[in-house]
Amino acid sequence: MFQNRAEALALALPAAIFAAVVFLLPVAILLSEGFRSDGAWTLAAYTDFFSQTLNRTVFFRTFRLGLEVTAVSAIIGYAAAFAIVNLPPKGKGRMIGLVTLPLMISPVARTYAWIVILGRTGIVNEAITGLGLSAEPLRLLFTETAVFIGLLQLFLPLMILSLISALENMPKDAIAAARVLGANWFQVFWKVILPLTREGLVVGGTLVFTGSLTAYITPAILGGSKVLMLETLMYQQVSVANNFVSASVIAFILIVMSFAANILLKRLATARNRR
Amino acid sequence: MKKALVASVALVALFPLGAAAQERTLTISVYAFAQDDYKTIVYDPFEAKCGCKLVVETGNSVERLAKMEANKANPVVDLAAVSMADGLAASRAGLIDKIDTSKLENFSRLYDVAKDPNGDGMSVGYTFYATSIAYRSDKMKIESWADLLKPEYVGHVAFPNVTTNQGPPALYMLGLALGKDTPDLKAPIEALGEKKDEIVTFYEKSSQLVQLMQQEEIWAAPIGRFSWAGFTKLDLPVAWATPKEGQTGGMNVLVMTKGSKNQDLALQFMDFWLSTDVQTKLAEKLIDSPANKEVKVSDKVANNITYGEDTAKNLKLIPSAAALDNRNGWLKEWNEKVGQ
Repeated sequence: MFQNRAEALALALPAAIFAAVVFLLPVAILLSEGFRSDGAWTLAAYTDFFSQTLNRTVFFRTFRLGLEVTAVSAIIGYAAAFAIVNLPPKGKGRMIGLVTLPLMISPVARTYAWIVILGRTGIVNEAITGLGLSAEPLRLLFTETAVFIGLLQLFLPLMILSLISALENMPKDAIAAARVLGANWFQVFWKVILPLTREGLVVGGTLVFTGSLTAYITPAILGGSKVLMLETLMYQQVSVANNFVSASVIAFILIVMSFAANILLKRLATARNRR
Repeated sequence: MKKALVASVALVALFPLGAAAQERTLTISVYAFAQDDYKTIVYDPFEAKCGCKLVVETGNSVERLAKMEANKANPVVDLAAVSMADGLAASRAGLIDKIDTSKLENFSRLYDVAKDPNGDGMSVGYTFYATSIAYRSDKMKIESWADLLKPEYVGHVAFPNVTTNQGPPALYMLGLALGKDTPDLKAPIEALGEKKDEIVTFYEKSSQLVQLMQQEEIWAAPIGRFSWAGFTKLDLPVAWATPKEGQTGGMNVLVMTKGSKNQDLALQFMDFWLSTDVQTKLAEKLIDSPANKEVKVSDKVANNITYGEDTAKNLKLIPSAAALDNRNGWLKEWNEKVGQ
């Protein structure tokens, strides 16, 4: 597009400088706090962090919930995306509109709605007691289940949208061809759909996983301090303990986990490709 | 005509500049809360009165203190409004000066509890609030803070998280009720930890509680008086408890920066803020409960703020030193016993 590379670079420079000065540099300064003690470079803050039982519990809980939300949203996402892609154009547009609708509502409002739905007098508990499944309303709010449901609802649309665009780019006859050649539905999914839509899965998976790792409002409102996650723990460290070193350690862990998830998912995708 | 107009506009435009050259400036650091009302009730009238200029810096307590510390050698802020405990923190860090209360005309009008909250002469309380238990009077009876942990009630209680402003005072009262009121709050945190699975939630935002009460998710929660108004609007019998151990709460104070060049002006401003007139207006807008005992408000207003000599006298506040020395310990203990 450009006559020479220098011209292109020169055009990119202002944006690059802007990003470096207002984003990369501050983040680097913040993160370096976790590696410094009395003017020397050290990993002490990290060993210290992981030596505490609470921190380990919170770390594994955050990681596990992230994985669970990603896995379940992939399963539901494939089913939903597949159904939507096969709708006539008018219906497809409407369904995509419905999927994107929650994204336009603030996560705070969406999370508060769950308080109503999952409450003792909420619709879920009324159904449970009405059907005689339990004599007493169940405790759903402020549990790990509530956080899981909240996060799933929050990020499922991102997975569905990524998978819809992946499925749409898939050759339409591929499935029919596989069926004609005698593949059952499981084989069709595993050997045809999955490899052909892995890009969408990687994008959706990264969005959902990193989103679940870093969401603050949902775990704070639906879980509270009974279900501490890394992000709620980080808030505590800054706003109460005024411990920026510990907060910087948590931030670094979250960033590493997000990058690792992305790299891992990409690897998985290309590994299947090579075979 | 046109020339004259231009000339007069130019004159008017120049006038503030000329005035500013002689005008003195007072820089204050306050909570970023209800600033529009503060401007009309406190800042603008004071500027008119002193013929000086007010510069207002806002933010939360932690970051404003950090800023004062960074500018210690060459202070920018002349006067700051902070929590009682942060007032002591500032004093320990050598950031503030003793207040010459003989220059405060309104000092004698303050409730005793507000006159010298930290006992070091470095701060004056300008507002305080009570913390007690809001509860469903048809479902339960609260006579003691320990009643919250009764087996028949505990499954319907929301307790403030230790990270909130209400957390430590509520724990402190629970400790008093349990007969173990050490400053490390070990006993009450342990007692809560034993019941943590039954307690509905350890709340972070009091705004959440009205909804939980309405949904009958909870029957009781320790709250600050400033969140009480929302509960009175519910179509449910909710009462404000007067436990036998008393009520707790918190106080905000005014402090004066060490090395400030405008200490006399800062004192004038402090005196103005504490005056019966200003404190009444702030109370009527439900912004700050008055620390000035001459303030008279209607029953309706009184019901929504912390008001009255008896209330002020009986507030059991956590001593600032205990709060400062134990804050990190509380969080650690809490995370070990309640958080996981």
